[in-house]
Amino acid sequence: MNRREFLKRSLALAVGAGALALPGNLGKNLGAAAAGPVDLAAVKGGEAPEMFDRGISALGGIGRFVSKGQTVVVKPNIAWDVEEALGANTNPALVARIVKRCLEAGASKVYVFDHTCDLWKRSYARSGIEEAASRAGATVVPADQGNAYRKETIRGARTLKETRVHELVMKSDVFINVPVLKSHGGAGLTMAMKNLMGIVWDRGEMHSRGLHQCIADLSLLRKPDLNVVDAYRVMVRSGPRGTSARDVAVRKAQVLSTDIVAADAASAKIFGTEPGAVEYIRQATELKAGTMDLDRLRIERISL
Amino acid sequence: MLRGHGWHAPWMFAARVQVFPALLRWGVTILLFAGMALLAGRFYCSLLCPLGLFQEAVHGLGRRKLPGYRRGTPLRYLVLAAVILSMAAGSLALFNLLDPFAVFGRGSTQILKPLLVSANNLLASIPGEPSRILHHLPAAPVAGTAFFSTALFFCALGAWAFLRGRPFCDALCPVGTFLGLFSSSPLVSVRFDADACIGCRQCDQACPTCCLSSRDLRVEHDRCVLCLSCLDACRTGALRLGTPKGNEALQRRGLIRTAFGAAAALALSGIRNRWNSPALSGASAPGPAPVSPPGSFSHDNFTSRCIACSSCVNACPAGIIRPALSAWGFAGLFQPRLDYRFGYCQYECKACTEACPTGAIEPMSLEAKRRSQIGRARFEKQACIVVKNGTACGACAEHCPTQAAHMVPYGGSLSIPQVDTSLCIGCGACQYACPALPKAMTVSGLRYHGTARRPWEAEEGPVVDPLEEFPF
Repeated sequence: MNRREFLKRSLALAVGAGALALPGNLGKNLGAAAAGPVDLAAVKGGEAPEMFDRGISALGGIGRFVSKGQTVVVKPNIAWDVEEALGANTNPALVARIVKRCLEAGASKVYVFDHTCDLWKRSYARSGIEEAASRAGATVVPADQGNAYRKETIRGARTLKETRVHELVMKSDVFINVPVLKSHGGAGLTMAMKNLMGIVWDRGEMHSRGLHQCIADLSLLRKPDLNVVDAYRVMVRSGPRGTSARDVAVRKAQVLSTDIVAADAASAKIFGTEPGAVEYIRQATELKAGTMDLDRLRIERISL
Repeated sequence: MLRGHGWHAPWMFAARVQVFPALLRWGVTILLFAGMALLAGRFYCSLLCPLGLFQEAVHGLGRRKLPGYRRGTPLRYLVLAAVILSMAAGSLALFNLLDPFAVFGRGSTQILKPLLVSANNLLASIPGEPSRILHHLPAAPVAGTAFFSTALFFCALGAWAFLRGRPFCDALCPVGTFLGLFSSSPLVSVRFDADACIGCRQCDQACPTCCLSSRDLRVEHDRCVLCLSCLDACRTGALRLGTPKGNEALQRRGLIRTAFGAAAALALSGIRNRWNSPALSGASAPGPAPVSPPGSFSHDNFTSRCIACSSCVNACPAGIIRPALSAWGFAGLFQPRLDYRFGYCQYECKACTEACPTGAIEPMSLEAKRRSQIGRARFEKQACIVVKNGTACGACAEHCPTQAAHMVPYGGSLSIPQVDTSLCIGCGACQYACPALPKAMTVSGLRYHGTARRPWEAEEGPVVDPLEEFPF
């Protein structure tokens, strides 16, 4: 543990202790603070980058996930050629902050990419993510060419037993999944697990072979070391692309967890949907990809 | 007009100063070109015509000696007459096959661009760090027949130009022949100085259109493309570019030619005006209607003004505008259409509307383009994944930028697409994204483009609704 990490962990403990003092959270957090980093951190009320800083502290600091010299993939949602205000893509300032923290923790390289739906060049540019991430020091790479995707076998999958996945996801030391919380015409909601469709070459196959089961299956392949669900701007209808800013509610929230199913369960609740009503969350739980039972998790709730 | 177009800008400038595109766009400008020919002959052919410059360059590679003066062939008048007559009959096919700008445009998109893209992708495939500087580019929009015919044309033209200079410009080019009608005795042109000529014949061997005779000390100005090779070849200064000296007067034959030219120009202007009546335009081929680009307003307007130069094909970042062999019927040979097998029309893009030199596609604001209905989606329920497999999908609604395709409840937890045609703009996103085979979502073109309704009444901002309490 170096000095920076020590300070961060101290801060995390202080925050935890502060939360303990709040009467409403007393019972829920009693176990959490005692046993070090929590399973899930939920943050509300701040700007996206500062919510990340508070949340990651609760999870034990960035140093818990990224060590010196490691390569990192940060995978936001950059699917659409639309403005930030529509909430169709991940908050660019959040992506930039995560990149910055990874580099501060000593990452040798931080890659940012998404297999976009609209043309990649236009989506990368209009989302604001390319500029923000590059400025923070990331290597922003296109992911529109099939030759970067390698066939992988998914152990334990029921339907999607193998598929072609972007090589950087498999090769990198650390994989950080940074989706945006949105409504979704086909899947109901899109968050952490659904965001992994952007590391796959053939999305059409997932749609035609049973969308929910394939999303659940995919979560078994390369478990993200950290999931950060951006719920700052939440597209409440017309998702996942949206038609205008009126489809968006500014919720100012964020969910961080090492458990991709738990991250989705908590995000679904923030959206106003019971996790059990989202088929792929149920199926992923059956596959033991994580837990949707939030009561059994140690959760840190942070209000800014 | 040209700012913000990056490396497309020079091409777009060149496209704006071509004879027939200008005619199709503004009609009367043809008289302007005719007037300029009266003043300075066919300077256009060596200064502005891209195919002329191409032939010049190819011939320059070999610098072979040319045969000297040959009489002009009457074939060129037959070609011009055939082109005008077929245009009057409502078909641009013959013209599109021979117009130098259209030919060169197809050469760029079907041959030059694929070569450049392949070279780039070869370099990009060298293993190493992923970068976006030498990134793989999507394949150029090569279309079978258009590619083969263009390749054949350029092989033949290249060989011809290498050996003989610019015989195409002399014998076949309808634009050159048309301008020649006004160039019998232009104010400025290449002229001999009899006293200085020593009869060495260097100029004869340099002339790429064989229109100059050092024996007769004469240049046939209506065939001279003003390439000025003869001036470079002459070692005694016996040739000059200038105004007539002494008693060189307008000859009777010149007057007759000019009269013919004026008649042809008026005919072309007239034809162009009558194109606004749909009766004259080429009928579309049977089968599902093709999709014409946004800004073309109607199939009739598009097919009667598109010269198949491929400027829009080149401009489309999605690579979905592609030359068609028969989608527009025989009259519309190589006129492009939107082909949703390769992608879909990007909601926030209007590149094609800015690229067209003829007005077959008119410029429009992004706001207008976003609501321009170029086609209409049709949902075939029995083909849909949700019905066939009983599993969720929604890929179409996911991609639809206007939510014309949206999901409605369909038994249990499933939902199924529905199309609101008043919102559908025919961009093809739903068809491209549909994973079913055959496609459950298909888009066919609208013969008359419409305007979609706004999905909402007024532009509203987001609802500010911060999370009050954690719901867990």
